[in-house]
Amino acid sequence: MATTVALSKPKRGGRWSPWLFALPALIVYVGFLVYPAVSSLWFSLTNWDGLSATYKFVGLDNYFKLPSDPVVVTAVKNNLIWTVVTIAVPTVIGLLLAIALNGKVHGKPILRLIFYTPAVLPLVSIASIWGWLYNPQYGAINSFLRLLGLDGLAQPWLGQDSTALWAVMVPAIWLRTGFPMLLYLAALQGIPNELYEAATVDGATKWQQFWHVTMPSLRPAHYIVLALSLIDSFKVFDMIYAMTYGGPGTSTQVMGTWMYFNVFQYYQAGYGTAIAVVITLVAIAVGIPYVRSQTREAS
Amino acid sequence: MSTFSRRGFLGLTSAAALGAGLSACTGGGTSTSSGGATGAASNDLRVFTYEGDETIGLFKAQLKKFDQQAGTTTTVESLPGSGAAVYPDKLRTQLLGGKGPDIWRIWGGQIGSPFAKAKQVLDLAPYYQKYGWDSSINKQAIEGMTFEGMKAGLPLLSLGLGAWYNKSLFAKAGVSAPPKSYAELEEVNDKLVAVGVTPCGLGGKYGWDIMRLFEYLLEHTAGPELHDKLLTGDESWDRPEVVEAFTLFKKWQDKKWLPQGALGLDPSDVEPWYVQGKTAYTIVGPWTEAAAILSAKKSPSGFGNFELPTDKTPARHSGFVEGYMINAKASNPDKAAELLDFLAKPETQKALQITASTVKGAEPDPKSLPLSAEWAQKYGSNPFYTIQDQAFPKKQADQYFSVQSDLLQGSVKPDAAAKKMQEIVSAWAKS
Repeated sequence: MATTVALSKPKRGGRWSPWLFALPALIVYVGFLVYPAVSSLWFSLTNWDGLSATYKFVGLDNYFKLPSDPVVVTAVKNNLIWTVVTIAVPTVIGLLLAIALNGKVHGKPILRLIFYTPAVLPLVSIASIWGWLYNPQYGAINSFLRLLGLDGLAQPWLGQDSTALWAVMVPAIWLRTGFPMLLYLAALQGIPNELYEAATVDGATKWQQFWHVTMPSLRPAHYIVLALSLIDSFKVFDMIYAMTYGGPGTSTQVMGTWMYFNVFQYYQAGYGTAIAVVITLVAIAVGIPYVRSQTREAS
Repeated sequence: MSTFSRRGFLGLTSAAALGAGLSACTGGGTSTSSGGATGAASNDLRVFTYEGDETIGLFKAQLKKFDQQAGTTTTVESLPGSGAAVYPDKLRTQLLGGKGPDIWRIWGGQIGSPFAKAKQVLDLAPYYQKYGWDSSINKQAIEGMTFEGMKAGLPLLSLGLGAWYNKSLFAKAGVSAPPKSYAELEEVNDKLVAVGVTPCGLGGKYGWDIMRLFEYLLEHTAGPELHDKLLTGDESWDRPEVVEAFTLFKKWQDKKWLPQGALGLDPSDVEPWYVQGKTAYTIVGPWTEAAAILSAKKSPSGFGNFELPTDKTPARHSGFVEGYMINAKASNPDKAAELLDFLAKPETQKALQITASTVKGAEPDPKSLPLSAEWAQKYGSNPFYTIQDQAFPKKQADQYFSVQSDLLQGSVKPDAAAKKMQEIVSAWAKS
């Protein structure tokens, strides 16, 4: 009876209550995300230089110019290479480290700390450190190669088109391995031991246990790691900007840096914003499956 | 196509409170200035600069002195070491945010030009007249901050670039005196390489540092008149003199007269190498005496400088100007101009230890900055060609660097590089 009375009692605020509770967050969301996004969309349809008080509406001209811009072609190619490499390599290494740390290893907390530390270092510091390591004459990498008698392998790593992008990816991999490692480690610790015991009783080898017990149990973790890494990879900017400034020439430009150069350095804010809109649309397209999966899980 | 106002767009789409805030930032009220700017007069001034750690203290001390005599309160914000690649972005962001500084330091040429074209800058012509800057400031420098006839800035530094070298490394190579011709410079390079010393320390990250070598080679092959016409697009780059300059540029790398992998090196790392003994010389301006030699606690007597020999008449070196602009929306342009006039006094320039002042009577002190004084005495009155990251807008300058980068990596030949440069410059000139 008591329950019936409670349900029939008029609600304070009626159907507006949920909106009132959501209002503070909505204001922030609209003010800091929706409004700037709509503004950017508008500016991408103009020839605004990013500094003057006036500009002209140019329709979709900025978008039509994108395919004929040779640097955009280079940037898209670099983005794709970057995405594939900086997702695949840290994910595999992170998984291997997690498996190793989930076993009987001495000093687990210390090792976890060591492997995760690069992820919390400021990116500009990482860029400076690796810039010094890569110095062709005095850097540790070439010095080490020369010490081993491998002088032929010593290269101007950041100073030539053929190696610059790959050289920047190495520290990116170094700093991005810790995140999947932690996620996989948490997921591994959630797999019931009984599954392995049953598999052992059934005569499964370690390799078979990995593929038929461990990997299926890690599916949710795979999904989170891949989705977040994919979004992160497509937004790459800071490592490239700090280590090569998009060079030599324009060989390491990615969409993020090329957008920045156009908006902030070339006074072509309309065109640069069109690049930003394209990046955003791609990131949204990539993020939709992840958001849907999270929504499904929550419901 | 319709013309829109950015403010109009913001006003239409933003909330009323936000709109009111933004319009407040743009200033209003009646004119109080002889410069014609609008805004309620205030004695608070804000200066944005890129003074380094070694000079910011001197600058603040002079601002304090000005405040005492002018009754102002001046605050200063500095972004040291950011360089022309980053500093203008920060300034632009501040201006767009509606709270730009009243006064800012900036380079001349194509770096300062966009701020004038966007009408963010006060026309200083009335103040030039009022304070007589036309007669007290170097005329060539004033041209470097005059855009489409508008005196957009007050240039206080006119910096010439030359070779600054390490005497002990020259001696190690058996070189007793700086070269007097381009052929002699090549001989010096060969001698340095023979004793295991990299001659010229330049870094290609950002493009502008290694460009200093190419622009020198272009001056050597093309000569002053043609060089100037090339920079304005009045002559074609697709010509033998340019091809020769690109050929020499590649030669410098192939003969190891530049550091290994120079294209990927950061100029801020490489510039002090001549002081550290890792390279014999670099191409730099007089600021290096304080920034690299004195800051490393080295005696200036161990170093020297010389104008890179072009074999042409008149002898010129690369140069650029730096100065100050006043915000078109400055709340008190008269006080801002008064501050610029204070900074333009010879005694203030001396107190700031400016090594290459445009102000007559503010030559560097030979006791504290002997090498800068020597440079000013020997070469300070020589004409200069515009340093090429100020000669071209940033986009074209980056394309220029890109051609140089491709050439050094062997992916384009000198004749193709010259043709490519002609495409870049003619497209810019047409636009």
